[in-house]
Amino acid sequence: MNRFPNYRFLPYWLVMPSIIVIVIFLIFPFAQAINLSFHRVSPFGQLRNVGWRNYVEMFASPEYLFSLRNTVIFSALVIGVGLAVSLCIALLTTQKIRGTAFYQIAFIWTYAMSPIIAGVMWSLIFDPSIGVATRIISGLTGYSINYFTEPVAAFILVTAASVWVMLGYNICFFVAGLQNVPHNLKEAAWIDGASPWQTFWKVTFPLLSPTTAFLVFVNTVYAFFQSFGMIDVVTQGGPNRSTEFLIYKIYRDGFGRMQEGQAAAQSVFLFVIVAIIGAVQIYTSTRKSVYDR
Amino acid sequence: MFSIVARRMAVAVLVLAFVLGGIATAAAQPVKVEFWHSMTGSRLDVLNKVVADFNAINPNMQIEPVLVGTYEECLARFRAAYQAGQEPGIVQIYEVGTQAMHDSGMIIPAYQIPERLGENWDFGQYIRPIVQYYSKDGNLWSWPFASSTAMIYYNADHLRAAGLDPNKPPTTWQEMYEYGLKLIEAGVVKNALSFGWPDWMFENALALHDLEYANMGNGREGRPTSVSWPNEFTDELLTIWSKMARDGVWIYGGAEYNANGAFQSGEITFLMQSTSSLDGILKTVGDAFEVRTTFLPRLSDEYPRGNSLIGGNSLYVSNRVTDEELRVIFEFFKYISRTDVAVYWHKNTGYFPATNAAVKALMDEGWFTQSPNHLTAFLQILSGKSDTNASAGMRMGPFAQAREWVRTALEKIANGEDQRAALQYSAEQINALLREYNEFFE
Amino acid sequence: MKRKTIQAVATHAILLITLALVAFPMYYAFVMATHTHQDAYAFPPILSPGRELWNNLKEAWSRVNMETLLKNSLIIAVVVSIGKIIFSILAAFAFTHFRFRGSWFLFPLCMVTQMMPLPVRVIPLYRMMASWGWLNTYRALTIPYFASTTGIILFRQFYLTVPQELADAARVDGTTALQYLWHVLLPLSWTNIAALLVIEFVYMWNEYLWPNIATTAADMRVAQIGLRMLYTSERGAAEWNIIMAGLLIIMLPPLVVLILFRKQFAEGIAMQTTK
Repeated sequence: MNRFPNYRFLPYWLVMPSIIVIVIFLIFPFAQAINLSFHRVSPFGQLRNVGWRNYVEMFASPEYLFSLRNTVIFSALVIGVGLAVSLCIALLTTQKIRGTAFYQIAFIWTYAMSPIIAGVMWSLIFDPSIGVATRIISGLTGYSINYFTEPVAAFILVTAASVWVMLGYNICFFVAGLQNVPHNLKEAAWIDGASPWQTFWKVTFPLLSPTTAFLVFVNTVYAFFQSFGMIDVVTQGGPNRSTEFLIYKIYRDGFGRMQEGQAAAQSVFLFVIVAIIGAVQIYTSTRKSVYDR
Repeated sequence: MFSIVARRMAVAVLVLAFVLGGIATAAAQPVKVEFWHSMTGSRLDVLNKVVADFNAINPNMQIEPVLVGTYEECLARFRAAYQAGQEPGIVQIYEVGTQAMHDSGMIIPAYQIPERLGENWDFGQYIRPIVQYYSKDGNLWSWPFASSTAMIYYNADHLRAAGLDPNKPPTTWQEMYEYGLKLIEAGVVKNALSFGWPDWMFENALALHDLEYANMGNGREGRPTSVSWPNEFTDELLTIWSKMARDGVWIYGGAEYNANGAFQSGEITFLMQSTSSLDGILKTVGDAFEVRTTFLPRLSDEYPRGNSLIGGNSLYVSNRVTDEELRVIFEFFKYISRTDVAVYWHKNTGYFPATNAAVKALMDEGWFTQSPNHLTAFLQILSGKSDTNASAGMRMGPFAQAREWVRTALEKIANGEDQRAALQYSAEQINALLREYNEFFE
Repeated sequence: MKRKTIQAVATHAILLITLALVAFPMYYAFVMATHTHQDAYAFPPILSPGRELWNNLKEAWSRVNMETLLKNSLIIAVVVSIGKIIFSILAAFAFTHFRFRGSWFLFPLCMVTQMMPLPVRVIPLYRMMASWGWLNTYRALTIPYFASTTGIILFRQFYLTVPQELADAARVDGTTALQYLWHVLLPLSWTNIAALLVIEFVYMWNEYLWPNIATTAADMRVAQIGLRMLYTSERGAAEWNIIMAGLLIIMLPPLVVLILFRKQFAEGIAMQTTK
């Protein structure tokens, strides 16, 4: 670890730029948010101390719990469906066939799309009057779905767009992970008479678990935070608050609904949730690298 | 390979340097005033033209229009910017923000602007309902600018196709329901009616029957403490809306302008929407079908006549502007009140011409005969009362949230939930918000 | 042998179908951008390209002042990428090559950026920036982003794999730590730098909330906001041809960066997962 023992101050100078930015632009505003979370703010900026009331009311609020529930469902779908689809595609592109390089590039590009771009593209596909998906569904079932008005339709729209936009990144990681699985292990399993299905679950998948764990974290962060732009542009949290996920609710409560104190309490709680997930992630990654050396 | 990467990066950095070099700043001569607004789409071009014309004839003054975002963002950002000392001179605020702006302590009331400059200005020249809406204790607090109201747009061809008389559009909700059923039965449309701004339509329905939305004289005699519904009227109204939703007559059309699309493509026959959509709709529909407009439907004559509500927005002035800036602002306000400017604004946006002189000018040149759809909203609002608290419009601090709660209730009703329970729940939420708002004044 | 061929053909078939499905939203967007407003609303939908692409691109370009938007997004994305790369290399170097008091605390502190996303602290941050007079400046849109969890992890993981002997040899030669970083470590880091460039360029180009809040002036807006402006219109019937033309323009730069550096991106990612 200590490859240059003769420097006392240099390491501090090296980390200082990052630390300064973090303290000024992250810690400090967040500390203010914590302070705000114990206040109510009037529409014209007066503060009134309310103690823990914002927190108490937050957990008693059906809207907040609804938002929490929907965020969890949304994340679970983005992670579950997204990772399953990506893993299947990654498995296929790492088969011994020609053109794997082409496929790996051909699937990566959705990574460059922003959540807003994905949202706009998919809102065309689900457009109530001209969308292709709408027309196919109404052709098959006679029922025309409308994401402006139907919570389920809006939920499907943002989930589909999110899964789609994360495909590139997920596939890229799975391909990298799969290429690291030693081939002789798989061959050994083959020789022992294991079917491809068994080989996958017994050999490949366990070896892939660090990658999967990492992707679960990244996709959680996406579902919790990055989906913001898509929501703001396409559904504005509606209809009937069905797509008002935690992060969007914070923004709307704090900025639009002028309830800064309540929004601050939500941010603090959200931070706690993500910090726990993040701590697990950091713990695993640090432990791994220690193991590595 | 490293060198290829390095070379590509060098290109990227060069591009950056080139771009950065191209940024120059110009020195300012005239007195500049920022003007934050939310005019998007076709209205943006019209607004920019009005401002550009003003700047052209006043070389020593410069209004800088800034499209800040939605109405909600505009209000939220003005507050935050004011607290940080970075607010614009003029800000456009939607009607929902009226009470919050009055309470904010951040603005100069409009009527005090001429006083502070030692000038006179006749506020009686603005049309009555607008003055009523934005006045407090008989004085105008914000400058009338883009006012609208709600009306019915309908597809006359559809009515003909269903064997209905296009000269007799529905005048009551019951008729609307029956017309809708006939249109659906005749196979003309799958759904007959949709609205924009459902929450505002609910407010309109109350005002149209001279019923108050909240206590304390509809919030005009003091800060309200509770809403006045659910009541007998909302029961009757929403029962019809529930039935219409059940039978597919009414299809929920989203929060703002989503429903316009369905109307323009001929999927629905009736659209309840702000008059400010008129020009957009006429332009988009073109000759595809005959667009007509009419008054909002009433429930029954058991209730007195009120009026439809003023919506849209008005202009507020920060109380930290210098006298020099205030003079520019006042000149600009006088400019937008000029008859020719008000006429131009009306013709190209569908918003009301704000002054009586502009209305007369439009009438004299035969504009309303030539474009009768532009007259509908006028007749509707001028033929109603505007001297009662109910018809002049509700006022409350947490208005934006109240709207959202009403919208939530209507979304539930559109999805088949019990209307009374849905509305009751929203009413309770709003009452809690009102209590909380009032706590700041204790 | 035969069975293998059948398997290969089946794999190709499945992959191509999946690829078509994944590419469809993009294709549909492109088709929309090539039609007139009327044709975009035609029934049944037209799924082959029309001839209006150029006109729609021009219309989208002028309607939202695309030149300014692209310029701003480019500046922000490039400056932030470079800033993050520099800051991350320095910090990762410190954490991997030195033992110093407080590193146990400073390292987790650097990991915190991922847990305090902007929406969580946007209002205090806005107030702070406003009181400094930073609104509508490039400073406000770039400097808050300079600290990067991803970057520090990426370089840290890599520097941990660099053999100890390299540093020892350098030290014996009398090379200073910074010279070692500059002459030995940096040339080895190009793949990671390129990978991080892709990640951060894409991230910043696609950033929306903070640029939207921190700027009001028309000449400081960024591309994602332009797309929202095209998309949100009070006219009702969405002008899909114009929206999608604008979308094609706006999505292009990050796509180009990704394709240019795809190899390094994939390798950087592979390096992260081998741990």
